[in-house]
Amino acid sequence: MVKVVVDPVTRIEGHLRIEMNLKEITTDTGRWFIVGEAKSAGMMFRGFEIFLKGKDPRDAFFFTQRICGVCPAAHAEASNQALDIAFDAVPVPPAAVLIRNIIQCAYYIYDHMIHTYLLVGPELGILCKYPPMIPPVLGKEGIAKLGLGSSYAKCIEMQRKANEITALWGGKFPHHASGYPGGVTVKPTNERIAGTVARAVELWEFVANTMIRDIQAIIQANETVGEKISEILGVNLRGLEDIGVGTGYFLSYGMLPDPENYDDWLKVAYGEKGRRLSAVFHAGAWDGNFKDFDLNKIREYVKYAWYSDEYSGMKPSEEETVVDMNKPGAYSWIKAPRYDGKVYEVGPLARMINTFGLKWKIPRVHPITGEDLGDFVYKVRNPKGSVLDRVVARVANALICANKLIEFAKMLTEYKDSSICKYKDVPEKGEGFGLYEAPRGALLHYLKINNKVIERYQCVVPSTWNLSPRDDMGQPGPVETSLQCGTTWLPTMDVPSVCSAIWGNDYGELLKKALAPLGLAELNMEPVNGQKYNTTIALLITRSFDPCIACAVHLIKK
Amino acid sequence: MVIFNEVVYVKLSRRNFLKLVAAMGATAFITNYKAEIVSALEEVKDYWHICWLNGAACTGCTISFAQATDPDILEILTSITVGNSRLPIALPDYMETIEPASGWLAEHLKERWKNGTKGRRILIVEGAIQKKGYCVIGGKDFRDHVKDAIDYADHIIAIGACACYGGIPSSHPNPTGAMGLQEFLREIGRDDLARKVINIPCCPGHPDHLVITLTSVMLGIKLELDEYNRPKLFFGRNMHLALCPYRPYYDLGIYTTKPGEEGCRYKFGCKGPEVMTDCALRKWNNHVSYCVQVGAPCIGCAEPGFPDRFIPFYEPITNRRPFFNIDPNYIWVGGSVLAGATAYKVKKDKKEE
Repeated sequence: MVKVVVDPVTRIEGHLRIEMNLKEITTDTGRWFIVGEAKSAGMMFRGFEIFLKGKDPRDAFFFTQRICGVCPAAHAEASNQALDIAFDAVPVPPAAVLIRNIIQCAYYIYDHMIHTYLLVGPELGILCKYPPMIPPVLGKEGIAKLGLGSSYAKCIEMQRKANEITALWGGKFPHHASGYPGGVTVKPTNERIAGTVARAVELWEFVANTMIRDIQAIIQANETVGEKISEILGVNLRGLEDIGVGTGYFLSYGMLPDPENYDDWLKVAYGEKGRRLSAVFHAGAWDGNFKDFDLNKIREYVKYAWYSDEYSGMKPSEEETVVDMNKPGAYSWIKAPRYDGKVYEVGPLARMINTFGLKWKIPRVHPITGEDLGDFVYKVRNPKGSVLDRVVARVANALICANKLIEFAKMLTEYKDSSICKYKDVPEKGEGFGLYEAPRGALLHYLKINNKVIERYQCVVPSTWNLSPRDDMGQPGPVETSLQCGTTWLPTMDVPSVCSAIWGNDYGELLKKALAPLGLAELNMEPVNGQKYNTTIALLITRSFDPCIACAVHLIKK
Repeated sequence: MVIFNEVVYVKLSRRNFLKLVAAMGATAFITNYKAEIVSALEEVKDYWHICWLNGAACTGCTISFAQATDPDILEILTSITVGNSRLPIALPDYMETIEPASGWLAEHLKERWKNGTKGRRILIVEGAIQKKGYCVIGGKDFRDHVKDAIDYADHIIAIGACACYGGIPSSHPNPTGAMGLQEFLREIGRDDLARKVINIPCCPGHPDHLVITLTSVMLGIKLELDEYNRPKLFFGRNMHLALCPYRPYYDLGIYTTKPGEEGCRYKFGCKGPEVMTDCALRKWNNHVSYCVQVGAPCIGCAEPGFPDRFIPFYEPITNRRPFFNIDPNYIWVGGSVLAGATAYKVKKDKKEE
């Protein structure tokens, strides 16, 4: 049996290792290697839960953002919502909800943008022969003459603009500063609103024009990729919609609450079943149909993680976790959260499906000129989830945020002189859940206050769901499931050769010439016993989940 | 100063530029004319190789670096090239978060960095260094990755609070034994290298601070460092005393005590009086804003001892309670006692007096 290990997996946040046992399949065209069994392992641990203990609850907003510098704003929001409830400072005033929503929209656009272009984009661009998404290896000249990396380059400029909006309202990004239990510290001024709208229009234009155009080009090219790969392998694949197939269970907590109906948003966090239908993105536990989300159905398992088994299968608010670095069979710092005992995928695709089902239609009307560019319409290709569906969902998600960002900013003008915080002193005792969506998926913060300090803090974060190892029942996590779904092909041909086979020799030669001077001739080739295996598809599957390992291995508690 | 301005608007040759820096003093010059030092870089004739290691990090410093402006990260990586080679002046041979290669090849490319021209290899460390076993990359402990790289590094930069002084993961009770790069180097008996480290704290590190430090290194401009190895250029002034735009409120005794009130943030927990940084002047994200401007307190992320020296973040300096029996005014950092709080006597509220 051949075992291929990719360590480190780059172009993600943090330190991830994937291990794949290959199996050989025989088709009409020959013998091929695919992934038979896969394990994903988080390789870094810091221990946030331990050092949050005993601290002032208000400090949690600052500390938990530092769990992850790629998605700090989502941790800030989940933490803030847990604090709102623990301080009994709810409902949060509408102006504060709007300001938080503006920060979240801007931050989502940045995050989905960098993932689409900088992190997963290079593989997609190269595989689909789409120059705007191939990194700009030839610099400005290459961008101007060949369009090589034009979107990649524009993305760097645009993500900065998005973060300038976060800085307007939060002081800086990463790690903004303006959250406070019961609201925010920042005032809605004309200057801030105008600065937001000016940048938001530019962002909208980039998302609605360029990102949508790019993703449509990828969807189209994907058909050829599918045809050619099927031809080579002697199998029947439609394309990237049949690669990285998941479990078909999708979990979302909802995001962007309605500032005028915040009570509806809060119900789920108090343990009621529901779907947060008043929010822009709904909560839910899709299993082929819309299902209410129920906080009480979450459990975390640790049989295959370096933590003591004693408290496996507990609720986040109850569990105790103790490091056990020598546990036999364990292979990751990541725990295995499960919903109702099943393996749920989280992320943009889960958000889109729990809100809109399997068919999406998103308006594209210019916020200033009113020009209608036509709806962005997409039907989920694989209801179990796939590389293509995940990537498209991320772009669709960015478009919705771009639409909403300007709406929220306009709404805020009506609340300019109203309260920004329902101020409460630090309570003697209290507890609360913050349930929000990080760009990578469902994010839970739980906080318990005793004697005015933090007694217990627990997070269950998106990459813990997606990158989780096997649970106590032996079920592999979502990424593991996707890697071993039976179509993860590891060819022994290198990247340029695969591209030649799909798109013709000229393209392959061009890639070879571009990669060699950068020392990347053997890009994605992992050597095992003298043979090299091309891990591009496995990496594409892993990256389609947008892994964030610093988040996944955030905290433990003693 | 008029001459100063005129000179800068003329395109400078590298030689003249350096002469001018010598004549005027690096500090004032570099702070004000970042774009000029970057254009001077175009005349540097050899590659600079960069190895960017991530340890116990949140990757926030990498993301922050991507927020750089004038030049932005794309210009740095593609436009400022060596001659006609089309290769960037500074080639990040190893940088987990953005590099094209994964797995075996990613690790292998570190060799290219090691083989770079002597004198032109820069090591940047992001994130804290922990006890053995908590961070493993490519089957090798992060401690060994650092040990392996340091002997090849001609210049060492620690970016962000974690790499400088331990930062957030080193907060009490520091469960994974997280520490800054200098402290780690001292622990393994490499004081010689510890002295070389340029610390660029803040959480995350400021992209301007990093870009200017990098270009100064490449141009051979020696940055003057303070006792914590921070460039005085950025960390040489007290935020409250020298730079705070809300200082008049303080002088008038008008304070913010809860969100929404206008005033000096001192009573809302602002640690500005103890913090040496140019945030108030430089600001963040293309100079848009900074923490204090959005009504929040300064949490002291530019200082050694962050975060424990400054928590609770929302309590005034004078109200800080001993935390786990440690007096926050005397927290040990890398073996030296900090006495920041006592060094600066806080001005009393006029209304209360």
